[in-house]
Amino acid sequence: MSYLPANYKNVQCTPVCKQRQHAKSNKTRTSFCHACFVTHGILIFCRLIKGHEARNYDYTIYHPLAEISTWMGQMVSENPDVVTLVDYGSTYENRTISLLKIGLKSDVTKKAVWMDCGIHAREWISPAFCQYFVKEILRTYKTDSKVEELLKNLDFYITPVLNVDGYLYTWKDNTTRLWRKTRSPGTDGCDCIGTDLNRNFEANWGMVGVSQNCCSNVYPGFKALSEAEARSVVDFVEPRKNDIVCFFTIHSYGQLILFPYGHPNVTAPNYNELAEISQAAAKAIKAVHGMTYTVGSFAEALYPAAGSSMDWARLIGIPFAFTFELRDEGSFELPENQILPTCEETYAGVHSVITYVHNKIFYSAAITASATLWTTLSSSLLYFTLLYFT
Amino acid sequence: AHTVLYITGLQFVLKLTPHTPAASPSVPGQEDIQAAMPVEELDPSHYPATRAAKVAEHFINTRYGSPFAWFGSSGVKKAGLEDMGVLGTKYHIEFTLKEMTRNQDMGLCSAEVLFHRADERKPPQVQCTCSGAFQVNTSAEEEDLYQRLRNATSLLSGSDIPNSVGHIDPEMAPFWHLGGVASSFIMLRESNESTLLNMAHIDNFTQMETKDAQLMFQYDILLHDMVSQEILKWKLLLSWSPDGGVKVLEAEWDPKCQAIPTSSILY
Repeated sequence: MSYLPANYKNVQCTPVCKQRQHAKSNKTRTSFCHACFVTHGILIFCRLIKGHEARNYDYTIYHPLAEISTWMGQMVSENPDVVTLVDYGSTYENRTISLLKIGLKSDVTKKAVWMDCGIHAREWISPAFCQYFVKEILRTYKTDSKVEELLKNLDFYITPVLNVDGYLYTWKDNTTRLWRKTRSPGTDGCDCIGTDLNRNFEANWGMVGVSQNCCSNVYPGFKALSEAEARSVVDFVEPRKNDIVCFFTIHSYGQLILFPYGHPNVTAPNYNELAEISQAAAKAIKAVHGMTYTVGSFAEALYPAAGSSMDWARLIGIPFAFTFELRDEGSFELPENQILPTCEETYAGVHSVITYVHNKIFYSAAITASATLWTTLSSSLLYFTLLYFT
Repeated sequence: AHTVLYITGLQFVLKLTPHTPAASPSVPGQEDIQAAMPVEELDPSHYPATRAAKVAEHFINTRYGSPFAWFGSSGVKKAGLEDMGVLGTKYHIEFTLKEMTRNQDMGLCSAEVLFHRADERKPPQVQCTCSGAFQVNTSAEEEDLYQRLRNATSLLSGSDIPNSVGHIDPEMAPFWHLGGVASSFIMLRESNESTLLNMAHIDNFTQMETKDAQLMFQYDILLHDMVSQEILKWKLLLSWSPDGGVKVLEAEWDPKCQAIPTSSILY
């Protein structure tokens, strides 16, 4: 125990930090730093004080699964009034699939936004973005009234890693880094492992952009929703489909903003609106670091493919569904020094979409009401004016 | 049971026009491309145009890529499709080009990419002209690297490039680009309207003993095809010198790592 001066905030007492050598990059970084927390001049225990961030989580590196899980717990413990951890499913290898529910508490059922990251194991920038997104809205909602309004009117369901088994597998060694699918076994005598989760949903399942050979990286499964991970999403989202207004699924690479459908012969009824929203998002992205993201329907801009989570979301009635393909344009192994700029630009794009959707729901109703009021007022005024002059 | 496509013991030598720093902006040997009227205008953000642009990228890298220069398209501006009947399909594209190691804008390129009929299994034919000062002077760095390798007492090798977190050691970067140029020969040859190929990873490379002026390397490379989402393992034997450019001497696809015929995919 030691006594500290009255102005103890940000004072440097000797922090006790766990140094960890990053397995892949050999970078040494600090996790779980403890510093000084003082009350009545008495050193009680240690927590790192760095600005307002209580724990020094590094959003500019890739994190293995265990660290992401710990981080999720931290997000809850640091923001208990707005963050809840929800375990909503399990994987083939029996791991828990969890999301963070973020929003200001409300007595009424709220509209919601869904975001999943890491559906494809090798797309590491995707879980990195989900973590950044969470960090960013939690960092800004107390000071940014627009973000506060979003959290007031909407709940955010964020799954940092959906394909948990696959993600873990890509961390095994450098021969497993480019795994894409789940880790469930092949069936019917087919010897290979894994199903492409983004072909496994009930959305024109198996019709195009797939191979029925289970060794293929676009194997849709032996039937729709064969995968526990896909069923977990459906079991959570389906009952909430009338409340979920916006569905994001985050991938890499390609620098694309895609909207329904992946099946080439189906056109979304709000195609034009989705295109407009996507164009605006691409513009917002470009404004950050100058990167060009191409916009189009999934089938037109990337390739025809059925059974995607985005297609399924749109088909069950979620009006605004998007697939974001992040940096870069040639590699799954995006350098760590590009994590932050990628997250910053993606945040701007996603934020632009959410703002549009939010304002459409919560403001256009108000606009309609006030327009009616104005029409009533002005016609009353006209009536009384006429009365006066006759 | 399923049939497995594989190519074994493939040997070919591709001669690259010597890379001269004072080369003229246009690709040597190209005649003026007439502004042919495309039969059908294409949306430049849709995949037929972007796939054609990727092929043009590979073509440019086989011609102008080096351990110190690597090119990519930074966006298709215009695209058109010309049905060539029995010959195949020809794409007319205009795209902006970037030299990626320096993040340098190289101006606008105009290309014609002819995909032959699928059953003919012929590689696409590309013609390309780029406007603006298409000059990347890398002769000093190339000569420096070449001399260092020639005078070294041991043979160089490397592995796992980039590593899992995308890191490439600065000393390894020229070999990443060298692998990329060599891969471009393969990717150009293997491209069709249903592929979008990129070099994903270098498992390892080893410098081989040579007696002549060319340096020689054995590469184990992983390519990624966006459309099938497959990782394709290729073994390449290549030679390089500043004067001779990059030549792929041998190329072999490792079928053990990809047991699915791509023809099984429903497009």
